[in-house]
Amino acid sequence: MSETYPAPASDHDADETDEIDLVTAVNQTLDQEMARNDSVRLMGYDIGPIGGVYRATEGLLEEYGNERVIDTPLSENGIIGTAVGMAMAGERVVPEIQFMGFSYPAFGQIMYALVKMYDRTGGDIEVPLTVRMAYGGGVKALEYHQESTEAYYLHTPGIRVVCPSTPYQAKGLLTASIRHDDPVLFMEPKKIYRGGSQPVPTEEYTLPLDAARLVREGEDVTVLTWGAMVRHAVAASETVDADVEVVDIRSLSPLDVETILESVKKTGRCVVVHEARRTLGLGAELSALVNEYALDRLKAPVKRATGYDVHFPSHDIEDDYLPDEERAQYAIEAVMNYEF
Amino acid sequence: MVEWTERRPPEGEYRMLDADGQLDGDPPELDDDELLAMYRTMVATRTLEDKMLNMQRSGEASLVARSRGEEATPLGCAAALAPDDWIFYTYRQNPALLYWEYPMAEIVAGDMGAEPQTVAEHLDTDEPDVNFSPDYTPVGVNTTNAVGMAMADKFNDNETVTMVFVGDGSTSEGSFHDAMNFAGVFEPPVVIVCQNNQWAISEPSHRQTGAETFAKKAEAYGVPHERVDGNDVFAVRETAEEAVERARNGDGPTFIECVTYRMEEHNTSDNPDVYRDDSEQRDEWEEKDPLARYETYLREEDVLDDDLADDVQADVDEQVSEAVAAAREVPDSEPERMFDYQIHDTPWNHAHQRAELEREQNGENPFTDFTGEGFDE
Ligand SMILES: Cc1ncc(C[n+]2csc(CCOP(=O)(O)OP(=O)(O)O)c2C)c(N)n1
Ligand SMILES: [Mg+2]
Repeated sequence: MSETYPAPASDHDADETDEIDLVTAVNQTLDQEMARNDSVRLMGYDIGPIGGVYRATEGLLEEYGNERVIDTPLSENGIIGTAVGMAMAGERVVPEIQFMGFSYPAFGQIMYALVKMYDRTGGDIEVPLTVRMAYGGGVKALEYHQESTEAYYLHTPGIRVVCPSTPYQAKGLLTASIRHDDPVLFMEPKKIYRGGSQPVPTEEYTLPLDAARLVREGEDVTVLTWGAMVRHAVAASETVDADVEVVDIRSLSPLDVETILESVKKTGRCVVVHEARRTLGLGAELSALVNEYALDRLKAPVKRATGYDVHFPSHDIEDDYLPDEERAQYAIEAVMNYEF
Repeated sequence: MVEWTERRPPEGEYRMLDADGQLDGDPPELDDDELLAMYRTMVATRTLEDKMLNMQRSGEASLVARSRGEEATPLGCAAALAPDDWIFYTYRQNPALLYWEYPMAEIVAGDMGAEPQTVAEHLDTDEPDVNFSPDYTPVGVNTTNAVGMAMADKFNDNETVTMVFVGDGSTSEGSFHDAMNFAGVFEPPVVIVCQNNQWAISEPSHRQTGAETFAKKAEAYGVPHERVDGNDVFAVRETAEEAVERARNGDGPTFIECVTYRMEEHNTSDNPDVYRDDSEQRDEWEEKDPLARYETYLREEDVLDDDLADDVQADVDEQVSEAVAAAREVPDSEPERMFDYQIHDTPWNHAHQRAELEREQNGENPFTDFTGEGFDE
């Protein structure tokens, strides 16, 4: 299944581009950042000779050796805990957690050390980790391989949460994340790892970590979304009878509240599309922001097209769980037809 | 490719049946029926797993993990248990399930991706005599739960023994260390089995520990430990029987490291050629194959001959076809089933979202409730 993306933003006039998919963009970025800065080290299990179960780290062990690409014992808590220690010694570590659903054993080190160190030391010690995790459903995998539980981390101060939706975004955002002095949780939408290619500049570039991205301009309704759901929102916007604005949140924490409110104030309607469970998913916060700061502009209540408040179901019904173009379309139509 | 295989685990684990099927010492006290039941389990495991591999290749099953070449470990351990005992397992212990006649159709239906409730409702199966935990996906977690169950049995003066399997890689998880530590402190009737197949996906077992053996890890926790040839079903069974007996007599936990080798891919999403060049090692382990070794012994003891072997295979083939046919009859779940068994109630959000899902399934807009009181048509 191939999918094309819009060309990169025109303000990026790169001479040379490569036609690559999202996982290749991740791989290329890691390579570039490791070449650029000797203190960038990768950690994780299955990242060495195998190059990651999704091949995101392919070729890097051969290029940089086993002290830069560090295959670890099978312990998420061990990975994050030692990565934090290495970061305290000035290293810029990029640990991989194979699946977001396996980040939970590392919850202790994330909560006690990773997100707290900067505050705890009055800004003296920075922990510039970029924790990469494959997230999201639709790949017919086992339990805990399809999670979208970013809410745990969005609820936590002291860490940024970033999520790309295209190969171009992936490279720019990952570069910026690795270079940033804050810890960043970098969510990689595994469903679209190989979901299509686009021209990506071969040179290094960064994208802002505090700005949402306008994917499509429109006047009637704003759709707020990110990651693997962006493509469904865009597809829905092309079939509904309304002029839809699609905003790729991309920095889930901190949020670009200005862009979000500006868009909703303009259109007067807001739909959130995310694959996480609804209750206390990011949609809840987005809806609250809109209600607190844009109520008098609203022509309809906010609607959330999301996953349901249940454990991710088995293969035979996972497609019924996940939001898609149709669910996004229903939400858009519902707010369009609403009258006070 | 990087050389991963240069470090080998030390030799010298407990063995009764050598690679040529020759018995060292006294024959085990097992009658012919029992010897054949174990043989049949190994044959059934291979036949079933190969069938499921084909089903995965044709798109019918989504993910299949095989235990080929490791069968003696889960089999020998599980055979040491008695009815009402408990087994906490992972994807690598099909022989333990099949020995206790866990419904084969359920294994197949599970690999085909069906929702467990739907499977339970559509398959008319008998409960095995031994209790099985669910097969945990997050690794290591089962060990701590197994120790807790055994602690409860100890506090309640139950005679039940709990056995838990953990991979070599999974011993690196914090849950495993907690399990060992609690087992050492509370001395519950638990047998913790490390099925050391020397690989965790692409990681060789020497990446998991600096200790010379996995068995040695138990030392520091104050847990008695054994290290056996995991491809020798007699040695495994005898060691496990002793551990089970100790547990049942109130003498506490045992940790058993069974040394074996992962002959095949981690599972069907894996291609080991990418990361291991182990042809030499594989050849060696091929010669130590648990089924070939055991079969040689049975034939030399006149427990098995060609006719009987053919009968067993034919019987297993039939069982596997019946299981596959039954699993194929399990329908896709009703989507609404995803709301089942979340908590013992139907809170507002579940009732509401369930109604949304039903509307979506019927082609109606699920987002027309603007009051929390009902959906507009
Ligand atoms: C907590 C957790 N982290 C990661 C994984 C992904 N994973 C599944 S199996 C596996 C390797 C396990 O190796 P081992 O314990 O040696 O068991 P084997 O597969 O060899 O039987 C990994 C990393 C997981 N299932 N759970
Ligand atoms: Mg293993």
